[in-house]
Amino acid sequence: MVTQTSRKPAELRLEGLEKRFGNAVAVSSVSVTVEPATLVALLGPSGCGKTTTLRMIAGFERPDSGRILVGGTDITSLPPHRRALGMVFQNYSLFPHKTVGENVAFGLRMAGMARAERDEAVGRMLDLVQLSALVDRYPSQLSGGQQQRVALARSLVPNPRVLLLDEPLGALDKNLRESMQFELRSMQQRFGITTVLVTHDQEEALSMSDQIAVMSRGRILQIGGATEIYDRPASRFVAEFLGTSNIFTGTVRSNGVMIVAGGTTGCTLQLPPGAPTSGPVLLSVRPERLVIGDAAAELPNRLDAYIQSRAFRGTYAAYQLDVPALGREIYVYRQAGGPLGTLTFPVGTTVSVGWNLEDSVVVEDDE
Amino acid sequence: MKTSTFPTIPRRLLLTLPAVLFLLAFFILPLVDNGLRSIVQADGNGITFARYVQLLTDQFYLTSIAQTIALSAAVTVICVLIGYPVAYYLVRHAGRWSGLIIFLLIAPLLTSIIMRTYGWQVLFARRGFINTLLVQDLGLLDTPLRVLDTPGLVVAAFVHVLVPFMVLSIAAVLQGIDRRLEESAQLLGAGRLRTFFEVTLPLSIDGIGTGSILVFMVANGSFVTLVLLGGGLKTLPLLIFQQFNTTRDFGMASTMSTVLLVVALVCLFLQLRLVRRGGEA
Repeated sequence: MVTQTSRKPAELRLEGLEKRFGNAVAVSSVSVTVEPATLVALLGPSGCGKTTTLRMIAGFERPDSGRILVGGTDITSLPPHRRALGMVFQNYSLFPHKTVGENVAFGLRMAGMARAERDEAVGRMLDLVQLSALVDRYPSQLSGGQQQRVALARSLVPNPRVLLLDEPLGALDKNLRESMQFELRSMQQRFGITTVLVTHDQEEALSMSDQIAVMSRGRILQIGGATEIYDRPASRFVAEFLGTSNIFTGTVRSNGVMIVAGGTTGCTLQLPPGAPTSGPVLLSVRPERLVIGDAAAELPNRLDAYIQSRAFRGTYAAYQLDVPALGREIYVYRQAGGPLGTLTFPVGTTVSVGWNLEDSVVVEDDE
Repeated sequence: MKTSTFPTIPRRLLLTLPAVLFLLAFFILPLVDNGLRSIVQADGNGITFARYVQLLTDQFYLTSIAQTIALSAAVTVICVLIGYPVAYYLVRHAGRWSGLIIFLLIAPLLTSIIMRTYGWQVLFARRGFINTLLVQDLGLLDTPLRVLDTPGLVVAAFVHVLVPFMVLSIAAVLQGIDRRLEESAQLLGAGRLRTFFEVTLPLSIDGIGTGSILVFMVANGSFVTLVLLGGGLKTLPLLIFQQFNTTRDFGMASTMSTVLLVVALVCLFLQLRLVRRGGEA
């Protein structure tokens, strides 16, 4: 299927955006380049500045400094209605007094498109999101998922240069959210539209984006592809916000060995290649990279632990282990295996836990 | 299936009994009494519709009905035009001052309507504050302005009294409009003005409707302002007042009351339909 008069995908560039509200810094030196036709997620907890950044792109907030460029054109001082952007809000923001058809046609009507042409474009778009039958309904008569699709159709039909998604799936229940993730992503790719997704949901960011920008306290901490951000977190915040991490804090003693203090004896751990050679160091190991039981015997880093509690999560089991030598807990995820209906390690037993050096990452301390 | 042929009264309806009795005693019965009085012949024997015929054919009375409706309509329209911007400012831009503005809006209601109406007289009388200022003190005019006995002043006095109701009705609805709807419209290419007419105004039509009904009905039935400010208007409420107090023709007064009630009901019905259509589509 061919879409109407497609614009060439545009690049979106944010250059050194700053925004303060009174004394509070909301956004600080945010620079991102969103390549044409790709999707970049701004991921972070509430209050990290991701929404303010999105609102500056949309034109609802004016940055104190910095520039916003779409396809090389500076739009920083344009009002929202002249930016040619599409946006889907968390609550969909469909006009309650207009039908589905009128909602979707709104952008085209504002652009002055003739009636016949407009109806055709709206019909085509509603076909695409499989809502043609609902053209005369009002938004209040639709389910959450349907409203979501109408909102998407409404934002895409005028052929915006950039699509902004503000927690677009936040109001949907879990199953629907997953299928909408795929649907949104495939629409984005089919239209080849440059997209910024704001979300606090790491899973959403991981499964929908080409690039993820992790934000905290108004700054971007790390930008990269999903696997890069997840497997090579640059800092403690990133490691802990995306998924779960066991972080060991210590000091480098000598070539590739760190000392971790605390607990009964403390311990020494071997660092992965390329780790710093002196000073304080943070080592992050993901729970699913840890090995427990006999399989840990041969591993270079090994700790004795005591199984404190465990939770069955379907595809895997989560164990909470107490490590007396360090006086702390660590988390281990173990892929389901063994006979059906059993969990391998009972609570209260003592096990070995270990990991390969290349499964650990040195991260910066940003707390 | 129930076999009882009598509709059963849910017990919770009993809770409305005091209100029902009150309305029956002080609203329905007087209305019936009033209706009867309008059709009983002057000598007390038999029924006549002569008063209605007279009322609906006599040019004097027809003019009065027209004036009543026109006055209420004018007051309502002006209240919308003045009230909407105030309500908009109150909700969208007043911020922490909104409490103060609401207080200022309501404060005049704490004064009796008669006091406020006399205020206009004090201001605009031949030797009132304004004319004294303009003619004697400043010498800008040779003769005093004649404001007091004009329809314009009556409308102004009504608007003065009723505009707070309009503002509060509209503000309540504006408050509930999700700003993101307006933002959506803007991103879809609507400038501020179009956003207002496409989104904000249609979504606040309910507030305009409620305020209009309130203002129209009150203006339709009030006569104190007219008694005090005159303006050459002979509206139905004023005539009813005169019939009762001066002419003592209770039958005619009752007839006019009934006609006024019907006029009010028809207007209410029309306004409700207008609002419904605006709110839904």
